[in-house]
Amino acid sequence: MSASFIRLLSQRWPAHWRRHALWSSLAALVVALLVTLVWLAGRYEASQLQSRLDRDAADAVNDIRTGLTRNLQSLQALQFGDPKPSAWVKGANGLLRERRELLRIEWRDSQYRTLAEAGTPYRPPVFERLGRESAQSEVNQACTAARRISAPAYSTSYFVPLTDGLGLEVMELCLPLAHAGVVMGYLVATYSLQDLLDDLARQLTRSQEVSFTEGDGTRLAIRGSANRTSRVFSAQHLLDLPGATLVLRIDSWRGAPDLFPNVLTALVTAMSIALVSILLLLGKDMRRRLKAERDLADALAFRKAMEDSLVTGLRARDLQGRITYVNPAFCQMVGFSAEELLGQSADAPYWPPELADEYKKRQAIRLAGSVPPREGFESVFMHKDGTRFPVLIIEAPLINALGAQTGWMSACLDIREQRRIEELSRASQERLQATARLAMVGEMASLLSHELNQPLAAISSYATGTLNLLQHDRHNDADVGLAMRRIAEQAERAGRVIKSVHDVVRRRDQARELTAPRILLDAILPLVNLQARKLGVQVQVRMAAELPPVLCDRTMVEQVLLNLARNGMQAMDRPDIRSRVLTLGVRRASGDARALEFSVTDVGPGIAPEVAQQLFTPFFTTKAEGMGLGLSLCRTVIEQHGGTLAFEPNPPRGMVFTFTLPVGEGAARLP
Amino acid sequence: MQPAIDASVFVVDDDASVRDALAWLLRSRHLASQVYDSAEAFLEMIDSARLPPRPACLLLDVRMPGMSGLALFERLVERGLHQALPVIFLTGHADVPTAVSAVKRGAFDFCEKPFSDNALVDRVEQALAQSATIVQGQRARELLRQRLAELTERERAVMQLVVEGLPNKRIADQLDISVRTVEVHRARVFDKMEVKSAVELANLLRDA
Repeated sequence: MSASFIRLLSQRWPAHWRRHALWSSLAALVVALLVTLVWLAGRYEASQLQSRLDRDAADAVNDIRTGLTRNLQSLQALQFGDPKPSAWVKGANGLLRERRELLRIEWRDSQYRTLAEAGTPYRPPVFERLGRESAQSEVNQACTAARRISAPAYSTSYFVPLTDGLGLEVMELCLPLAHAGVVMGYLVATYSLQDLLDDLARQLTRSQEVSFTEGDGTRLAIRGSANRTSRVFSAQHLLDLPGATLVLRIDSWRGAPDLFPNVLTALVTAMSIALVSILLLLGKDMRRRLKAERDLADALAFRKAMEDSLVTGLRARDLQGRITYVNPAFCQMVGFSAEELLGQSADAPYWPPELADEYKKRQAIRLAGSVPPREGFESVFMHKDGTRFPVLIIEAPLINALGAQTGWMSACLDIREQRRIEELSRASQERLQATARLAMVGEMASLLSHELNQPLAAISSYATGTLNLLQHDRHNDADVGLAMRRIAEQAERAGRVIKSVHDVVRRRDQARELTAPRILLDAILPLVNLQARKLGVQVQVRMAAELPPVLCDRTMVEQVLLNLARNGMQAMDRPDIRSRVLTLGVRRASGDARALEFSVTDVGPGIAPEVAQQLFTPFFTTKAEGMGLGLSLCRTVIEQHGGTLAFEPNPPRGMVFTFTLPVGEGAARLP
Repeated sequence: MQPAIDASVFVVDDDASVRDALAWLLRSRHLASQVYDSAEAFLEMIDSARLPPRPACLLLDVRMPGMSGLALFERLVERGLHQALPVIFLTGHADVPTAVSAVKRGAFDFCEKPFSDNALVDRVEQALAQSATIVQGQRARELLRQRLAELTERERAVMQLVVEGLPNKRIADQLDISVRTVEVHRARVFDKMEVKSAVELANLLRDA
């Protein structure tokens, strides 16, 4: 039922009110508990007081009984040795002087006649006003009882008005005087109940009131102050005497300041205060926590908004490689919803199947604790629709509040656009270079043709002129001879032009230097990789160990390598080729120990035999935009270096182009 | 074809062997030639000495250090010499577009190096023939101008009316002179203009 009530509360009331209600009920409970505790403590205190009072009452009754018994013995002692009445009176007076509660002692015979009597010296004669006879019935009652039980007996108490207007409650004691089983007379003693109490009250405190009452509660004698304004504890104890029964009642009272009268209550109170203080502190702490929670919620909302607004994809993985978090940008990037991605531990759905093995290896390395490069690394993701796209991934370890790593956080950037721009700028740069090269070639050709045209034109003119002369009859042999010499000179001049072109080429020999094969490959790899990424080609490098440097013109050989690599990649740029691998290799030439063999291997469609025949012919090309100079220039460059350029099929598919370069003479081995 | 001995061919080319070879070729066809090694030298020649009033043509290399053949051609156009002195450009293959545009602007022709030599000489002769025609016309106009300059004011007025075909009497009426005086003037005009009849005079003036 309480559960349903709480549910009702939680449904009906907003959290704010629910919290208030809970706090209020908690406070009410604590207050109730405290009140109960204080009350119980008070109760305990009261019961303690009550029992002490009860004990006091019992003790008082015992004292009274003891006093009465001693008095009885003293009275008995008056009769010792059958005294004469005069002697008895003397003894009785002594006793009366000693015991104030005794008002009067009489020696009576068996017919209740008074033989001797003595009165207390502390009071005026008690029975002066009514006469002793008025009390004869009580005396008779006591003595009858005494005779019946053959032991002292008391009468019921009765009121004796005094001459001064007040009165006394008195009680008769009758002591039968027997001799050999025959009652010879009686000793009758009159007790004042008030004085009995006075005698007793010396042991009592001021805050107590002691009184004798009858069975119905009527007060017979009272001693002590009767301050009844405050709480009163009351104890009653029965004092039964032979022939009479009295009730001793002790009243005790406590004042208002006694709310916390003892250590227990004080302790409870102190603990209550402490409890309330702790409650207050808890409440304050709760408020602080609530504020912290609100701040945290705000911060979370802020963070979420930030993550949602990012165009960078965010992905978190735990140490088992499971995806624990993705932001909307990431989902948008790969086309999968967050539900499809979260908890994926095997191959992630955005891994291209052909690269999954590689990624798995990389993930294993990452999970083994290797720290990724700060600037990130590039990878390829697959959209849900199957398209691949390049991404830049920057990873950082996820550290929890305890400083332990719980996983990896990755930021993924879609770099398609960046790639496209890079590709565009590269292509336009290439076009520019090609144009510049073309312009240079054109300029060269123009210069060359002019230089050759001049002597050729002169030769032609001399020859024609000479022919013209020879057709005439009267020609001069000297003239013809002169023309022939001129022709020879001009032919020689043309030869010099050709030679000077050769010289230009030969001058590059001086640019040759010892170069490690690794340096050649390193120089072209960035350019090759750029195009490889665009065409989806995997570039592999196979380099034999301990290769000596080669003597070559670096720039020219790099151009040759680049040319061959580009040809290979372009050959593989066909939709039917899925696995595109370009291998660049360097090893010692099999036939010639003083040469290195460089190879560029593709897995393209190969080269048809009729094309292969013309492959090195200048201006022969199979490309729409080609000039047909690449391979022929490559061969020229390699042959100028003293090497050979060759090609052969690469079974099962593709071609391998190889060229050799001489090893540098006397060169130390380079790594 | 009879060689025109008094014609001259100017050759401007920076290459001495080409100049020499061309001169040799032209001489083998009985054409006299004068060679210059630069456009500046040729310009200096035509500035310092008036061109002789006879047929001539110019073989001009397009590409030369200093002033180019094209620039020289522009100067000739400015001076109105390119009609009487037809220009044949000698070009390498790269200069063909330049030469074509020059032809459009009034050059006689262009020949691509290495040229088919006798064909070049044929074009030279055609150019000389054109030049000769022009030079002849120029000479006739010069003569007419000299003759006209000799006429007096009254004689010129009479000639005007004669050419219009008016009879002497009408001429006398219009000029308010006697018929006799008209006849004297008319005879003097015919004499000075070296014509025999009014028809001949009219033809002469129309050609000019």
